[in-house]
Amino acid sequence: MIRTMRRIRVMGPRLELERTLRVLQDLGSVHLVSPPRLPALNPSPGSRREQRLVRQLRTLVTDAETACALLSVPSATPNAPMPEPPPWAASARQARRLRRTAERTRDRRQKLEEERALLGKYREMLDGFSGLFEAGHIPASVRAHHIILRPGQAAVVEPLRQALVEALDSAFELRIRTLSNGETALLLLVPLARTARVERLLAESGVQEVPLPAGYERATAAEALPRMRLRLQALPALIDEVESERKARAATAAALLPPMLAAAQDAISRLEAEGLAASTRSAFVIEGWVPASDLLKLGAALRERIGPEIALEELPPGSDAEAPVVLQNPRIFRPFQLLVEMLPLPTYGSIDPTPFVAVFFPVFFGLMLGDIGHGLLLLGLGLLLHRWSKPGKPLRSVAQIALICSAFTILFGLAFGEFFGDLGHRWFGLRPLVLGREEPRDIVAFLVLCVGIGGVHVLLGLVLGVINAFHGHKKQALGRGLSAVMIILIVVALLAAVRLLPRAILTPTVIALLVAFPVLVIAEGIVAPVELLATMGNILSYARIMALGTASVMLGVVTNRLAGAVGSVVVGAIFALLFHLVNFALGLFSPTVHALRLHYVEFFGRFYSPGGVRYRPFTHWRTH
Amino acid sequence: MQIFWISLSAAVAIAIPALATAWAQSRIGPAAAASLAEKPELSTTVIVMLAIPETMSILGFVVAMFIMLRAGG
Repeated sequence: MIRTMRRIRVMGPRLELERTLRVLQDLGSVHLVSPPRLPALNPSPGSRREQRLVRQLRTLVTDAETACALLSVPSATPNAPMPEPPPWAASARQARRLRRTAERTRDRRQKLEEERALLGKYREMLDGFSGLFEAGHIPASVRAHHIILRPGQAAVVEPLRQALVEALDSAFELRIRTLSNGETALLLLVPLARTARVERLLAESGVQEVPLPAGYERATAAEALPRMRLRLQALPALIDEVESERKARAATAAALLPPMLAAAQDAISRLEAEGLAASTRSAFVIEGWVPASDLLKLGAALRERIGPEIALEELPPGSDAEAPVVLQNPRIFRPFQLLVEMLPLPTYGSIDPTPFVAVFFPVFFGLMLGDIGHGLLLLGLGLLLHRWSKPGKPLRSVAQIALICSAFTILFGLAFGEFFGDLGHRWFGLRPLVLGREEPRDIVAFLVLCVGIGGVHVLLGLVLGVINAFHGHKKQALGRGLSAVMIILIVVALLAAVRLLPRAILTPTVIALLVAFPVLVIAEGIVAPVELLATMGNILSYARIMALGTASVMLGVVTNRLAGAVGSVVVGAIFALLFHLVNFALGLFSPTVHALRLHYVEFFGRFYSPGGVRYRPFTHWRTH
Repeated sequence: MQIFWISLSAAVAIAIPALATAWAQSRIGPAAAASLAEKPELSTTVIVMLAIPETMSILGFVVAMFIMLRAGG
């Protein structure tokens, strides 16, 4: 159901505005709305000082959040004490300092990590040159080019040498060595003045130089390698040192930043709330919505913490469209709110479909999957998710839905006598209690059952549509009611025609249909017959439950037969396990999507009116 | 010979709707991906949109089943 809300107005001396907002924030139940448009009241634009303070606080929040992220400090600590903050300017400086320090630490670490990765890469390549060339410092007038040729590229060496002879005469030295992995290492020494020409020649020959990292450019490979090794050995210790520094800073930040962040966010919320208040020179007015059950508590808190000068007034509801929506359902239905909240919320005053989803979704899911083995797997998965998730989080709702659906899957599995397809029948003679989905004679019965359930579901949707429309659009309510009646009449006429009901009622039913039809057209317009046909189509759409259910059991049966046909027991078992897992994955996805679709399209389409405003109470940061 | 025609009819009854579904989903898929890139909150609508053409395959499957069952297969 949708929680009943009351529209309220809080008035008092302007000087008490901030204190009043603090009380409202502590209570955390008032959804503030724009200031009332009355001639005597002016919206509070916020002074320049307040605007500057908001900017300063936003910067502080950005700095604090960045520092928390860089230092791996959890910024969300709902239970963190929120003392009166020090002057914001000092806090802002502190947050900025911590952010800069954290950034410096991160940069240092990144640099060291990059150097380690780079040197590691160079070392692998330059190991190829190790011992091949004489150690020695290269004169300042000479440039060393280190080249590694991949296997198969060695053919370019001779053309390169020819090109070098033509370009430089004998003013170069080329040393070549084939490495054990098939690559070829080249060391080319050329006068510094001819470097540009040589680089062009190398590019023309299609070979790429291995540039030495910064700080080693002037050395030969043999000279650079030991230095690189030494640096590589030293780097882990340096990285550990930076990490220790980060941890020390994180400990300081953990005590300082979360409460500061919470206090700053709360202050921003209060300043924004001040913008929603309207005022005269000496009084303020705040309007909002509060759950009806919290109204008395709100009045008592304002009187107790501020005094009798604050007046709380309950206003007539006016336009319900403005009222925020909060869904409140019994505990057993609550997980299914997640499925309703995936769509835009229903408007205030309309019907919350959660209880209906909670009843029908697991039934549809169970009818489609309907297998004891798959149900047990789903039960295990649900228990695991339940263990991993935290109360109130979406994952917890998913786990609870999975547990409920697993119960229905096992229940329908017993009814259909399925355990991983026909494995239960093969192993321990499991028999269907109600109908066997793999039995040709029962398939029609299953189809009729599914379409019948669809008929009930869609009719329920139409009835809810009548109730929904009754408060506002009486004509629409009449049209929907007539549609529901006509669907019942059509079903009765069909059943009488195939002699499942007494033939005598066929004629009166058809006459009733003929009378109802023009009334429906008058009530709903010319689109009514099309709507009626669409509704019939929607009911037939529930045949998907049978189709997916049959497909699911057939996949299980085929897997078992194929596994049995494989000669080896081990291979057969692996095959069966693999395909049953695939079937289980499909069995989770398809029934979920199709059960959702049956709700969102076929059921909600009859009555659901989206567009509700989400209830956002004015409260402390991350405590709601 | 009759078995051949029955099997062929059942195959056609499922194959044509399956191809139609595939074509429809091939059009919806890219549009859905583009929408999700801009508005991730549309994921539910996108899943439902993708599931809508599957009705054709499902009804095709039901018809194929009926053809096989009526023929005593």
